Amino acid sequence: MKTFNVVGKNIKRNDALEKATGKAMFSTDMNIPGMLYAKVLRSPHAHALIKSIDTSQAEKIPGVKGIATWGNTPRELFNTSATMTFTVPSMEPVLDQYIFDKVVRYVGDEVAAVAAISEKVAAEALKHIKVEYELLPAVFDPLEAMKPEAPIIHECHAGKNIPAEIVKFGMGDIEKGFAESDIIFEDVFKLPIQKQAQLETQAALAQVGSDGGITVWSTTQTPHPSRMIISKIFSTPQSKIRVLNPPYVGGGFGVRIGLSAKAEPIAVALSKLTGKPVKIVYTREEDFTSSDTRHGGYVWVKLGCKNDGTFQAMELKSALNAGAYCSFSGETPGVLGAMGLAVYRMEHMSYYGHSVYTNFTPSGAMRGFGNPQAMFAIEAAVDTIAERIGMDPLELRLKNIIQVGDNWCLPYTCGSTGLAECVEKAAKVIGWERRGTLNEPGSKILRGIGMGVGTHCSNAWPFCVDYDNAIITVQQDGSILLAVGVPDIGTGTSTTLPQLAAEAIGVEMSQVNMTFGDTLTTPFDIGSHASRTLYAAGTAVVAAGNDVRKQILEYAAVVMKIALERLDITKGIIHISGSNEAESCEGSGICRSGEESMTHISVRELVYHAHLRNKQFIGIGRTIPPNSPPWHAHFYEVEVDTETGMVKVVKVAAAHDVGKAVNPMIVEGQIEGGVLMGVGYATSEEIKISAKGKPLHTSYHKYLLPTAMDAPEIHAIIVESNDPSGPYGAKGVGECGMVLSAAAIGNAVYDATGIRFNEIPLTPERVYKRLQENKK
Amino acid sequence: MFQEYYMAESVSDALSFLNKGPGDAVIIAGGTDLLLDLHEGKKRTKSLVDITRIPELKNLSMEDGIIKIGAAVTHAQVAESELIWANAPALAMAAKKVGSLQIRNIATVVGNIINAQPAADTAVALTALGAKVTIADTSGTRDVHIDQLYEDVGKSRVDCRRELVTEVIIPAHEQNQSSYFVRLEQRKALALPMLNIAVMVSLEKGQQRFEWVRIAMAPVGPGPMRATNAERILKGTEIDDEIITKAAYEAAAQANPRDSDLRGSREYRLQVLPALVKRCIKTAVAQVVNKG
Repeated sequence: MKTFNVVGKNIKRNDALEKATGKAMFSTDMNIPGMLYAKVLRSPHAHALIKSIDTSQAEKIPGVKGIATWGNTPRELFNTSATMTFTVPSMEPVLDQYIFDKVVRYVGDEVAAVAAISEKVAAEALKHIKVEYELLPAVFDPLEAMKPEAPIIHECHAGKNIPAEIVKFGMGDIEKGFAESDIIFEDVFKLPIQKQAQLETQAALAQVGSDGGITVWSTTQTPHPSRMIISKIFSTPQSKIRVLNPPYVGGGFGVRIGLSAKAEPIAVALSKLTGKPVKIVYTREEDFTSSDTRHGGYVWVKLGCKNDGTFQAMELKSALNAGAYCSFSGETPGVLGAMGLAVYRMEHMSYYGHSVYTNFTPSGAMRGFGNPQAMFAIEAAVDTIAERIGMDPLELRLKNIIQVGDNWCLPYTCGSTGLAECVEKAAKVIGWERRGTLNEPGSKILRGIGMGVGTHCSNAWPFCVDYDNAIITVQQDGSILLAVGVPDIGTGTSTTLPQLAAEAIGVEMSQVNMTFGDTLTTPFDIGSHASRTLYAAGTAVVAAGNDVRKQILEYAAVVMKIALERLDITKGIIHISGSNEAESCEGSGICRSGEESMTHISVRELVYHAHLRNKQFIGIGRTIPPNSPPWHAHFYEVEVDTETGMVKVVKVAAAHDVGKAVNPMIVEGQIEGGVLMGVGYATSEEIKISAKGKPLHTSYHKYLLPTAMDAPEIHAIIVESNDPSGPYGAKGVGECGMVLSAAAIGNAVYDATGIRFNEIPLTPERVYKRLQENKK
Repeated sequence: MFQEYYMAESVSDALSFLNKGPGDAVIIAGGTDLLLDLHEGKKRTKSLVDITRIPELKNLSMEDGIIKIGAAVTHAQVAESELIWANAPALAMAAKKVGSLQIRNIATVVGNIINAQPAADTAVALTALGAKVTIADTSGTRDVHIDQLYEDVGKSRVDCRRELVTEVIIPAHEQNQSSYFVRLEQRKALALPMLNIAVMVSLEKGQQRFEWVRIAMAPVGPGPMRATNAERILKGTEIDDEIITKAAYEAAAQANPRDSDLRGSREYRLQVLPALVKRCIKTAVAQVVNKG
């Protein structure tokens, strides 16, 4: 196997010191001279017509500089999510949002915004804006919202309140598949609304120049697509707009793929109205009520199997809660189906799924993007089937998982899988053989072990527009500047992409610097989402690195008078392949340019040699990434307190086939974070609403994210299948840790109690109620 | 938010500041609830009187079987105090459950009582422990039993504009006594309890019978509530599962929790309350037995 100098090493993160010392800059920290502060007036009603808005009293308050409403802002439809920039024909993106509309469709919807000399003055001014509403009927459940009597939230062509399209695909003959099955499991599962709860709330600072040029610092995960959206809203050429992170973003988890809710357009609109820079930072409550959530809703699964455990057919359906605006409600049901049907091999499969508008906060992208919802249902089905045919659920899975080259429902091939290895390793760590022997008779605390397996994507190709560019410019001093348009949303991109560049060129990590998350200094990139950044942007970085390396070697061959094929670059030294590159010649006589006996030259010396002869090395990578499935097997051991219903996750073994771990420590961090987010999804996190649609979980205090105190013992296990398509074998990681928690915890709780929960979170009250019913 | 922040140097200094003004000054110790209330406009004042630098209020000590905890003593100090763990364990357990470490490092136990929230963890423990608070005003001091301190939700009978609670007084456990605290919670930090229960047991010689038991539970009323009927059932009886179970259900019969969208239904809380009371009693008894 190829050995690497930089890839595969736990290189210290480039952002570590800045972040640990509090010096790293985030949008929330931005401050420029003359800046105004914005506050937003939000709807107290779930569905209403705005009959009138009177801002006259608010305008009189000293320090108020401008008030934006539907009347003085662009009437240009958009979609806050990047879907409007990357929906692939023949599908059409759904554009259903204005900055401010005459109708409000959820509690928290934008009504008006004030720019003032301070947040305090702006907040005071909001109290003096008089709005007359005419209340409209509201609906909150996706199944209710499809009924003929339900209020129309948006006119839709696909069906009553169904945004975008109904996603339908499959293979084989599903009816035949079930007819040939000995055992069929069928049930419906209900999923909650989860929140990304990223540390930095939505934020933007906009500055409009006298030439109409727009600069926006913001928390977006996708500066380039965000620039396209802003360009459309404000009818300004993209080339006059700069969108950047400053340079860090306090987490994403999907909540700002595209705009940061409406932070960017509100800031730009107010900056245009006032002629001053305007900053908006959402409060935590606003972030909860008025930025995208994970899709809740319903998933139906029907799984048919032979008595020997061979899967025959699977039918999957979904109806997801879109909330009040489309965002990613077209794509999420698609990914739910695609990932759900990609785990097990069988001839007959079918999927039918869509979202439904309701008067909830909009649902959008969140880590896993439909996949956790699918797997909660599917893995319950697999465990139930295993029990019915009397087979170990681990064996049943190993018998049916997809293998390389299998015919499956995805439009690309399965190029690698380390799933069987994941299962084997994680089973060993959790002690799978102890399953069934964990409880003494009469015990009030019951233990159980459950598992789940799954896959994901490594980017959004070919479902969405998905391409990458990277430019590597070798500076005259030999240092290297890598320019890639993806942000670092905390996943280590600003470390791992330079690692790839250093490896490709053959230089030390310390020689590579990077500019990122800035539309002015980087070429177009679709952004940091879909577990794609390392895999997809990395493909472009490696291409640019190879390009530079080739240019350097071609030049070196001439200078050194050695055949190109014989040269190599290692740790910044160009040398003859096979010779010891460590014998650096820097400073010695033989290094001098033009020496007959030259066997080594540093990149640093060579590029200056080239500079003096009017030449610079600039590498370009322009790639359309392929796609590849990462694989994962999760095992959870839980304790259920039968007297209180409390579910405690005790231990987790999470094995992930990541292709190749470019920076293993970062990979482990991603897995652990995903697991904990999944533990919250399975056991405690949910946004509920009052009868009138007012969200009840609107703060870190009320919304039950697990704390460090709640974290179980997590074993992150890395499996490397060396994917043929990814950079140095790497595949997607970011979302994967989140995909299986609910599925495996549901199975573990079943193992402990014999009760199948079709709805999460497994709150103590929900669990206790079923335990009591079960006693009767 | 406020115009004046006064660092009091002594109890009499704090009292005279409180009484010299128009009567709207508010005492601040940790401020972890007060500052939020002021920020959100739930409370208003022009003047805050900080008592955390008054030397005698920083006292945490035991003398002649009486534990004294000054008004400036934080949850963290109590939770880490060997003296409290040895002589009033339920209080240390409760103090350890409040908020997060950052909050426990500044929030005071006395503040937790005075703020009078229905589920204040240390107040529940102190109720089971039979604590009293010492209230000072310009005319002198008086001791009030913690049971008598609650007026309504969020309202204590201490007039914070005129009076100052200087300390809480707890009788230390004797050889035949112990206490325990449990909390039904949705996560292990930064969460209000769905239920919290504290129990103190006093056993007769030979450890076969209860001398008496004190049971405090919350949030099942405006303040920590004593399960007096359950206590009566246990008084002087032989220790066995049956009687403990009976008492635990009697405690639930006396409790009056509310339905909460965030923290569980009334029905659920009433259903699980007996199990928690039982655990508390049994563990407290076991702790006495373990003392030898």
